[in-house]
Amino acid sequence: MKTHKNHLRLLILLLLVLLACVGYMTVGVHFENQKLFAYAMRIRTPKLIAMLITAFAIGSASIVFQSTINNTIVTPCLLGMDQLYSLIHTAVFFVAGSGSFLAVNANAAFAVDLAIMGAVATVIYSYLFRKTNHNVLYVLLIGTVLTSFFSSIQTTLTRVMDPNEYDTLLTDLVASFSNVNSAILVLSVAVLALVAFAFRKELALLDVLTLGKDQAINLGVDYDRCIRRLLLGVTLYIATATAMVGPLAFLGLIIANLSRQFLRTYRHSQLITGSVLFGMAVLIGGQLLVERVFVYSVPVSVFITVGGGVYFLYLLLTQRKA
Amino acid sequence: MLDIRFFDLLTGSVKTWEIFLISRLPRLLAILCTGIGMSVAGLIMQQLCMNKFVSPTTGATISSAQFGILLALLFAPGSTLWGRAAFSFVCAVLGTWVFVWFIQRIRFKDVVMVPLVGIMFSNIVMGVTNYLAYKYEMTQALSSWLVGHFSTVIRGRYELVWLTVPLVVLAFVFANHFNIVGMGKDFSQNLGVPYDLVLFMGLTIAAMITASVVVVVGSISYIGLIVPNIVAIFKGDQIRGTLVDTALFGAVFVLVCDMIGRVVIYPYELPIELIVGVIGSILFVGLLLYRLRHGRKAVRLGKAAKKTGGAA
Amino acid sequence: MFVKEITKRYDGKAVVDGVSFEIPKGKVLSLIGPNGAGKSTVMGMLSRLIARDSGLVDFEGTEITRWKSRELSKRLAILTQANNVQMKLTVRELVAFGRFPYSGGRLTQEDNEIIDRTIAYMELGDFEEQFIDELSGGQRQRAYIAMVIAQDTEYILLDEPTNNLDIYHATNLMRIVRRLCDELGKTVILVLHEINYAAFYSDYICAFVNGKIAKFGTVQEVITKENLSDIYKVDFEIMQIEGKPLSIYY
Repeated sequence: MKTHKNHLRLLILLLLVLLACVGYMTVGVHFENQKLFAYAMRIRTPKLIAMLITAFAIGSASIVFQSTINNTIVTPCLLGMDQLYSLIHTAVFFVAGSGSFLAVNANAAFAVDLAIMGAVATVIYSYLFRKTNHNVLYVLLIGTVLTSFFSSIQTTLTRVMDPNEYDTLLTDLVASFSNVNSAILVLSVAVLALVAFAFRKELALLDVLTLGKDQAINLGVDYDRCIRRLLLGVTLYIATATAMVGPLAFLGLIIANLSRQFLRTYRHSQLITGSVLFGMAVLIGGQLLVERVFVYSVPVSVFITVGGGVYFLYLLLTQRKA
Repeated sequence: MLDIRFFDLLTGSVKTWEIFLISRLPRLLAILCTGIGMSVAGLIMQQLCMNKFVSPTTGATISSAQFGILLALLFAPGSTLWGRAAFSFVCAVLGTWVFVWFIQRIRFKDVVMVPLVGIMFSNIVMGVTNYLAYKYEMTQALSSWLVGHFSTVIRGRYELVWLTVPLVVLAFVFANHFNIVGMGKDFSQNLGVPYDLVLFMGLTIAAMITASVVVVVGSISYIGLIVPNIVAIFKGDQIRGTLVDTALFGAVFVLVCDMIGRVVIYPYELPIELIVGVIGSILFVGLLLYRLRHGRKAVRLGKAAKKTGGAA
Repeated sequence: MFVKEITKRYDGKAVVDGVSFEIPKGKVLSLIGPNGAGKSTVMGMLSRLIARDSGLVDFEGTEITRWKSRELSKRLAILTQANNVQMKLTVRELVAFGRFPYSGGRLTQEDNEIIDRTIAYMELGDFEEQFIDELSGGQRQRAYIAMVIAQDTEYILLDEPTNNLDIYHATNLMRIVRRLCDELGKTVILVLHEINYAAFYSDYICAFVNGKIAKFGTVQEVITKENLSDIYKVDFEIMQIEGKPLSIYY
């Protein structure tokens, strides 16, 4: 019975998302003028797809990550994974040089970034978890420090590359909602699909992982291997989302926890679906508001930061009391 | 300081003296004031809150100061440096009070909760600042206060940072009081020290030091966090005993960071915030892992370290 | 199943030091001893949850770490002490996890029947749809034990299962342990603090002191005045009730 209730809830969410999509595509479009219509579609379609992909990547990666380390106030982006990707992208650009093949071909650069990111992030974060014995508060604090560490190095690299025009360079290097990296749309969809397919076995184990390490082993899960692979998958998802629209620190936290509170289940098929749908609704709805109501003056990421920060404090304080 | 030679100064080349007085000397003084001020501010906050991880960065002081600057830019666009400073002071003090009041009310069991909440708190303040800046198209104007740097420090534009000197002296005078208040409310009342008064006075001093640095230089994180902790590892926790060491070490730390920033892409320079951000975050993570490994003693390891030092 | 010379060190200090014993099949074996004697660590090594520094754990002729995790989980189940789940999980769903090694998450009709039986067995029927985090400590413990029972393994390892249980539920639990052994032929290994539960409900007892085996044998052999005084360093009196040696200490 509970399952049916949740299916209904997910259906409602899906309708909301569709509504937001339709709204995003049609509000303020001149249907009567063929040329303007075609122009608006050309601008908005890739953006919409990018947001859908981002929501999918961040929504599912956040839930998987939370279940992997068994805590619901931690998300990969809070630990600086998105900043790490920006840093790697900048570093690749820095090493290869601005005239190189990698600088010109966005897809090639993305592929190289992904490979490095997969290796580096897995090493850094599994080291972090081991060193802190999965003490969540320490993981979080070190994660937030790492976030500023990565972005400091990244800014430094950018300034070293071009001391005069670093601001422009920075905008070029790091994607954002006003500057969606639409060149890699096809490749990123392929990456997300491939990763999901390759890790389908591990995904099936997520429900069991939430019982904790001892119970998971007792129930026959090859724990260490499973965690390592899931972490790698999460890394690739976050990298893809960051490559497309830039860092979005709090989005994952908001949508993953909304999904958990809304659905109140342990079933990851539902949790992930919910988180992804929430992500789409928040992003597209937010972007619609930003573009139509605030007339582009304030980027949607600012709202996500403020809302996410307050929500995080709320979660931190209520969880501690219990 | 690199290409001014002592010789030139001695021979009295007018141009060299001019550069020295207009740009180099102010810069040096600003660096020293920043280093001393921020680390003393951090030390005071740590002592008062009884938590080694509280600092202007992790206690919302810096972000509140920035928020104040933005308010000044919005409501009094023609204001002078001193006018902005006034806004910044008020906001920094209020922000710090609110944060400390908050953490004292909650009484976290785990010390690490406090900086975590503080960082999030300042993230939110910063988010609001960003929102207003975007809304009123102030991002450009604000950006020079977001990443702290010394390159605009010249004569006539930096003197405000001298405010840190009397404030640090004040802190030194009341060092013992801060120590006592740090031991807790009952303890200090038993000794006849007015707890709330000293607590909020101490926080005000720390916040004002921070604000006067932020107004002139911009935000510089981690100094207030890292420097007192490193000094405490070697010298112990008594604020009076470590105040001078902390101040001196802070000055040296910032000076070294500034020199690194000027050398890396010479003749351009990197903002001090980036250098401190990189070095400071590495040290902070190291400190955290060290504390984790050595349990409760660590970071309060002062006495143990002294002992082994004495034995050697 | 037997262990040979197993050793575990933390920070250079041996918590378990060269322990060897054989587990009698189809019997109830209790590990007892003072705090810090290494009982739970031995249990962890028996169940592959804790990596050992040296020695051998043999399970049905094969070293335990060589077993495929999934296969092993159909033969050996362990319940540890610390179990806190943040998830929204009902009692029934938790018990259903015990069938995971067999079904991989997709429950068959047979799985559902076993789950129903186990819930009845552990008297959990009244709150099978309640969330785990809304239960009392004792109820939660029973739900976890039900999960382990649903796992339907030949060997069942329980680390201090009577913790957090009141006398009624603790005694009931020990009776269930006895029945698991007598009726279903399971081998049960327990870590217990209550000496009398160990004495009354087990067949064999292994007593640890300082990471070593102090005594191993049948209940009558181990539970004597002298042995217990040696192990716990306090005075004991032994009374025979229903043919079992029960102890009083003061």
